[in-house]
Amino acid sequence: MLEICGVRKVFSQGTPNEVRALQGVDLKIETGSFVVIIGTNGSGKSTLLNVVGGTLQIDSGVISLAGVNITKWPEYRRAKLIGRVFQNPFSGTAPEMSVAENLALAARRGRPRRLSWLLGAAKRDELRERVRYLKMDLENRLDDQIGSLSGGQRQALTLLMATWLKPELLLLDEHTAALDPKSADQVITLTDEIVEREKLTTLMVTHSMHQAANLGDRLVMMHHGRIIQDFHGAERKRTRVDDLLARFEDVRRADQLDETAAEMLRRVYI
Amino acid sequence: MSLLIGALTIGFILSLLALGVFISFRIFDFPDITADGSSTLGAAIAAVLLIKGINPVLASAAGFAGGFLAGGVTGTLAMKFKINGLLAGILVMTALYSFNLHIMGKSNVPLFGRPTLSSYAETTGMRLLGRSTLRVLGWDVTVTEASTLITAFVAVLLVSLLLYLFLQTNLGAAMRATGNNRQMIRALGVNDERMIILGLSISNGLIALAGALLAQYQGFADIQMGIGMIVWGLASVIIGEALVGTRQVGMAIVGAIMGSVLFRLLVAIALRLGLDPNDLKLMTAAFVFAALILPGLLKNIQRRKAQALHA
Repeated sequence: MLEICGVRKVFSQGTPNEVRALQGVDLKIETGSFVVIIGTNGSGKSTLLNVVGGTLQIDSGVISLAGVNITKWPEYRRAKLIGRVFQNPFSGTAPEMSVAENLALAARRGRPRRLSWLLGAAKRDELRERVRYLKMDLENRLDDQIGSLSGGQRQALTLLMATWLKPELLLLDEHTAALDPKSADQVITLTDEIVEREKLTTLMVTHSMHQAANLGDRLVMMHHGRIIQDFHGAERKRTRVDDLLARFEDVRRADQLDETAAEMLRRVYI
Repeated sequence: MSLLIGALTIGFILSLLALGVFISFRIFDFPDITADGSSTLGAAIAAVLLIKGINPVLASAAGFAGGFLAGGVTGTLAMKFKINGLLAGILVMTALYSFNLHIMGKSNVPLFGRPTLSSYAETTGMRLLGRSTLRVLGWDVTVTEASTLITAFVAVLLVSLLLYLFLQTNLGAAMRATGNNRQMIRALGVNDERMIILGLSISNGLIALAGALLAQYQGFADIQMGIGMIVWGLASVIIGEALVGTRQVGMAIVGAIMGSVLFRLLVAIALRLGLDPNDLKLMTAAFVFAALILPGLLKNIQRRKAQALHA
């Protein structure tokens, strides 16, 4: 279970560029739940993923995972509990190393790395078996540099790497945003299959209303660094793309109202 | 002939330097200038221990250990204190100059008459062959030269094999991945800063070992001997990459060794043809400069040609 309590994060504090990316976010995710986060640009959804993953340290609040307070843990230490797939297909793999080497590195996520061989014969067989499952004909390209593969193939492999050892939490940061539509569909199908089969606790950020409406068992909407809507249970099942678009339209209109109200107040008081 | 053998021997010894530079520059993309100080450090430690009558193998190993520590300091300055990598290397290199003078006690320590790896090789060669010259391909070669060359070759073979095997382990592969993509390896639970510190330690350990062997080959350690080492190492790595044409680890290691030997041969030929030794470092720097910008220039020319064809 992931618990996020009162998390705040401000960028460039005290400068004219100050951005309040997270303004007191509370979120509790049950074990085995697949939560999708959507939001406007700058709503803080990616920041939220980055503070959970440990890429960013928070200003205040508490983050705990599987009953452990991980707020102060550096990123590499959190990796023991968390598997991650990034938006950029280049971020999740070491391009000049082979497919097999990348996978073997992931097979020891969060474990000590000593002077035993990275790739033994038994390890190779295991790698081939699990790569075959992707159905991308990559099992015969284990010795190719992973940088020579397409973005979709790399993202599928990154997903396999992130879940090789079952993580307490899987973080997906718009992991299909940089792919062409066909590859994006493939990776989404694979995501759904793996999360379903392994019963993974998953937190996924997306830009796609379509993905948001069709994936996961819970849907969280963010705006201006806050959670503004949390659909779950029957309500989540009823939610369609149109409902989401309508809700975003509400938010936009409320923003405009805020702007004019602020302007009015300024005129009156300043 | 003895010029050729001398060039080959120094080429093999300095290929350890090339391997060190390969680790810092190519694996980690870290311009580590500590090399200029750590090579002298290795020579100084080995020389002083040899004077004290310590076994040459142990003395060389102690040189390696000294360089290992120096690299660790550079890595710690850069990673833990967030000092720019180039500056961290300059700080350690500068500090090492004083440090090396203290170790040696003076600016030059001659090893004349002391047992060294070179003298070991010489006596072993004499005992095995029972004479002092050989005829190889119609040339007279002294056993001293031949056995020193073979010893240098075997030492490099052993060290490079160990390095290659190390890079195939879980730890070594995590180091390579750190140089390739830090974000990825952090997400897989590796402390990337610690990997870089360890990598720079190994790199400078190898460079110091090269210094220790060089001192034994030339028969003295000198406070100035490290100047320009980093550029020599870089030149060897670049030549090596041109020779093997790949950055796959095993081939890259072979390339660095071949590059170092070829570079020494080129230097020997240039000196033989009358190059002023004082200009050697200028020529090396110019060579590295050319090697760094040439690939980009060639690509530009090719692109322009292709565009001209299409137009």
